[in-house]
Amino acid sequence: MANETVESTATTDRRSVRGRLGLDGEALWGWATVAPVILLYLFVAVTPIAFAIYASLFEVPLLNPDWTFTGLSNYVEVLTMNSFWSSLWLGALFMVGSTVVQLLVGLWIALVLNQLDRGQRFLTAVAFTAYLVPTVIVVLVALFMFDVEVGVLHIAGSTLGLWGERTFALGDQTWAMSLVVLIGSWKFSIFVTIFTLAQLRAIPDRFYEAAKICGASRWEMFRDITLPRITGVLLIAVLLRAVFMFNKFDIIWMLTEGGPAGATTTLPILAYRTAFLHNDYGVANAMAVVMFVFLAIGAYCYFRAFDPTAEVDT
Amino acid sequence: MSTPTETETPSETETEGGTRLSYETRDRLYHLALYGSAALFSAVILFPIYWMVQNAFTDSQTVITEFSWLPSPETVTLDNFSVLAAGAVPRYVINTIVVTAGTIVVVVGVSLVAGYGMARFRFRYKESFAQFLLLGYMFSPIVLGLPLYLIWSEIGLLNAQIGLVIALSSISMPFAVWLMWKYIQTIPESMEESAWIAGASRWRTFWDVVVPQTKPAIVACALFAFAIAWNDFTFAQILLPSQESTTFAPGIMRLIDQGGYTSWGDIMAVSLLMTVPPLLFAYFLQEYLLKGFEVRTR
Repeated sequence: MANETVESTATTDRRSVRGRLGLDGEALWGWATVAPVILLYLFVAVTPIAFAIYASLFEVPLLNPDWTFTGLSNYVEVLTMNSFWSSLWLGALFMVGSTVVQLLVGLWIALVLNQLDRGQRFLTAVAFTAYLVPTVIVVLVALFMFDVEVGVLHIAGSTLGLWGERTFALGDQTWAMSLVVLIGSWKFSIFVTIFTLAQLRAIPDRFYEAAKICGASRWEMFRDITLPRITGVLLIAVLLRAVFMFNKFDIIWMLTEGGPAGATTTLPILAYRTAFLHNDYGVANAMAVVMFVFLAIGAYCYFRAFDPTAEVDT
Repeated sequence: MSTPTETETPSETETEGGTRLSYETRDRLYHLALYGSAALFSAVILFPIYWMVQNAFTDSQTVITEFSWLPSPETVTLDNFSVLAAGAVPRYVINTIVVTAGTIVVVVGVSLVAGYGMARFRFRYKESFAQFLLLGYMFSPIVLGLPLYLIWSEIGLLNAQIGLVIALSSISMPFAVWLMWKYIQTIPESMEESAWIAGASRWRTFWDVVVPQTKPAIVACALFAFAIAWNDFTFAQILLPSQESTTFAPGIMRLIDQGGYTSWGDIMAVSLLMTVPPLLFAYFLQEYLLKGFEVRTR
């Protein structure tokens, strides 16, 4: 598909020299090269969102082709649902908890990696490893490590008296949420590290050398040289992490399926359950629309906080 | 939280005129904190991986009956890897490989052409288009997956791996296209111009002059697409509901759910195999990865 686009633009080129081309021809080529991207977006993003808004106005039993128009009643149902508000609260808890842990740990690892004189390359690879281990493997290893029979972390925790000897920690009301946050952060903190590390490495050494000559302490150098240069990138990382974690479905579902007793049922989990377990596709789409609104707010903040196009030569 | 903060304590007491620590002591404390931190996070990251590897090579009966920190020679075995020879697991792994390969091809192809177009052609609304592209960061598989489920069951893409490839490629687009766009901007146009003067068509110039020079960006995009596809659970869980066509992540989770399939030895063995490709990339293509992120965040 992509190749044809370019080939057709190439034939146009042969007939007319580039210099003679008006803006129209060039614009046409430009749009032709990005057409596949637009098609993909239309197909996978725009249509589904429009469809979700449409479907959210109907009562849709998944296995039944008969839709009943119910207007906004799905939204009323969602907004009066206790489980919606509790999942929103749990989602906020999960989002804030994860973002804070990931920011602190990720920044800490980045600063340490940047300061090391020996073993830097090796340890950077170690850190990246965590980010590259697939989520499902993180989950499988976590389930194994918390296994009631032979799980190493289960045994460690029960020896320390954190949970009972026969208690599956991930199935325990008090522990499930914090453990899901921590297990997720094992992987995703490194996202912040990667983001920050690139920026840290771009700070010229002579800044620190000059500061050292002036007698600045390490803390002063961090505060006055390092921090101002990574604040921007940290903001972006925090915003992206918050948005991603608010919409996190995979790791929570695989670890707990929203349990025990709804203790980890965030909004994405609730929407999935509503669609595929309660067979209430219309209501699930109403929830998807609500999530999309949150995303749109996130996107708006993203563009306000940081105008990415301004930094590209066009 | 950061390491420099930890070294702050001595210098603060110094300015307050209290106990004055010598430069050497402060330096030693700082290096202690620095290497202590490095050791701590390495341990936290490496222990689960060690645990997975150790148990992947341990006799599956021993894994569920005995607990030991170190592997013992009597119980070391390769038997767990036979999980890849039979049953449902090999099919899931192959499906994952197919979907990942497809995603990489689509992402690299589409982003290369789009990045080239955006770097070399002037057209109106290009900046708006680029901003629109970034909205893709906000696409979440769960928000898109729920409506896609019915749409694709209508048009017959449900349970088709090509459907999953399309979905995964779309969410990889913002990163891939931006990276290609920025990268191709750094390639001087004069080389292409001299190729045109020598009579090469635009297509030929693109293929023979531009593409070879974008190799680092292609590797970064391919890695990124690989990570997205290899990691995916949500889209596959929703869009590939049948056990036949599904990928590894939803497949193995359903196996565990349904049959109480908890032969941990087997699971750790296949987990190890699924982890090896990303690890190889982490070691050998670190520079490309960093470069990709650098271009994006700069």
